[in-house]
Amino acid sequence: MTAVMPRALPRTAVGPVLQARLLGNEITKGLRLAWRRKGMIVVGTGLNLLTYLGINLFIGGGHVITGLMVRTLPALLAVTVAQAAAVNGSGGIAEEINGGTFAHARLSPGSPLLQATGRLAALAVEGLLSTAVLAAVLTAWFGLDYTGPSATVLPAALTGLDALGYGLLITALTLRINSIGAITHVFNMVIMFFGGMLVPVTVFPGPIQMVSHLVPTSLGVQAINTTITSGLAASWTDGTMPWLIVHCVVLISAGLVVYSTAMRHALREGALTPR
Amino acid sequence: MIRATTTSVDDGLAIEVTGLGKTYGRGATARPAVRPTTLSLPWGQVLGLLGPNGAGKTTLIKMICGLVTPTAGSVRVGGWDLTTDRSRAMLQIGAVLEGSRNVYWPMSAWENLLYFGRLKGLRAAQIKPRAEHLLRDLDLWERRHEQVGSYSRGMQQKVAVAAALINDPPILLLDEPTLGLDVESALTFKEWIARLAREEHKTILLTTHHLHDVAQELADRIAVIRSGEIITDLPTRELLARHAEDRWEIRLAGSLDHLVGALPGGAQTSIDHNETRIWLPDNQAGLYAVLDHLRDTGARLVSVEKSMPSLEEVFLRLLHDPAAPALVSKEATR
Repeated sequence: MTAVMPRALPRTAVGPVLQARLLGNEITKGLRLAWRRKGMIVVGTGLNLLTYLGINLFIGGGHVITGLMVRTLPALLAVTVAQAAAVNGSGGIAEEINGGTFAHARLSPGSPLLQATGRLAALAVEGLLSTAVLAAVLTAWFGLDYTGPSATVLPAALTGLDALGYGLLITALTLRINSIGAITHVFNMVIMFFGGMLVPVTVFPGPIQMVSHLVPTSLGVQAINTTITSGLAASWTDGTMPWLIVHCVVLISAGLVVYSTAMRHALREGALTPR
Repeated sequence: MIRATTTSVDDGLAIEVTGLGKTYGRGATARPAVRPTTLSLPWGQVLGLLGPNGAGKTTLIKMICGLVTPTAGSVRVGGWDLTTDRSRAMLQIGAVLEGSRNVYWPMSAWENLLYFGRLKGLRAAQIKPRAEHLLRDLDLWERRHEQVGSYSRGMQQKVAVAAALINDPPILLLDEPTLGLDVESALTFKEWIARLAREEHKTILLTTHHLHDVAQELADRIAVIRSGEIITDLPTRELLARHAEDRWEIRLAGSLDHLVGALPGGAQTSIDHNETRIWLPDNQAGLYAVLDHLRDTGARLVSVEKSMPSLEEVFLRLLHDPAAPALVSKEATR
């Protein structure tokens, strides 16, 4: 029998250019889905604002201590990015698995990690938008004074990466753990308490301070605060920046490894869709 | 389109499955879902994969499209090995998976098609005309900017099929595409799939529980899977012919209970309130004798024909007969 056999594109078509387009496609999809739930994002941002104000009023005995707020606000912003990445990353992937689109999206020449990266990039934009709103509102409302903002760009960027690494790890665990939602909320609470959102980590006793440095975004917030008060050089010399870089690398690597492993496991178990 | 070239070959197979098997779990908890299976599907053919729930249809389809890692064997799709050339293999496939949404409900049909087109490596300029053609063809053009979640089930399934076809793949894997659709939507779907097969020469692997309406009418070939094992794989006509019975079926109008006593030995009857059916052994003399008798009694004849089993009957026989012989064509195991 003579059959007409269609062939795919030549080798060059499945190269870096295509991979870049696939990444852009995932980011666009993530942003579209974020836009569809913009109401939830607004409510979440508002709740974060109220929680933070409540904590500050509680600590200040009914008054906001602006000196404290200047040092804890970076932690609120870091928590917001981490929450967006972890909660929405985890919830989004669980929703896609249950809905079947996660499996369908795998019928692509793109790699799973590329798709996860696109997903995370969209969540980063979502988190940063919430962060920008919170920062603008609180800074204007309480007249907070941040000096040397350009020097804080590096630790702030690394803190953002740290938060995204955490989000990637939680997203990866969603592929393996059914009750990841509850676990994520516990982790988020730990980040709020030990990440410097209530009081700066430096006021904790030595051992707790050491443990808190393991918590995502904690080292980043400390590096930002050190940079604001004493300059970027100080955060290098006191070891915060080097450890922050190590933390970022370890967390992102762990996220990538766990995601890859979890995907292989899901493919073995047929768990990309509900069975 | 992503299908850049078309090559004429003598032995090209759209899907080639060799010793493909899947066992979930290990040790004492090991549960075979698909026993080592060899199957091939030439270009342009429609294969109906039938089986009861839990027989392994969906697992087999998911292994073919790379969504489940097999424990044994290999898959080639469009000539590309799924393990070593996954990227290229993926460009050959469009799929509608069983019982899932397949598309993003919060996004519009238009946004979904843009996403799934880009997912296959197409550019927006390539996707838009194709998306417009598909949406117009499926009567969704006017509502293309509405969220898919607001559509009816039939419309949502249309978007899923459009998404599967957005890069014009030569191979379609349709796992229960008519599941949950009302009669009208299912009929529309069946016609659409028939057109894809007959006019666009798509290679289609189809699973369905609508055996007569969908499988028998659409499939060139039928494979029946039972407990993870393909027990039959034959061209549809050949399968039905092999199960054809050497007997006549006479249909009469009305409920004619009084006829039963006058029929020859070996005759069977089925009587309901508006139709009487009589089956006779393949004996011309006996048939004419019964027809004479029916004429004398004034019974109103509706039809007389050689009794052919429906695909449903064949399917049930194969499933419920543990000794059913494996009926596999040469083509299937090539």
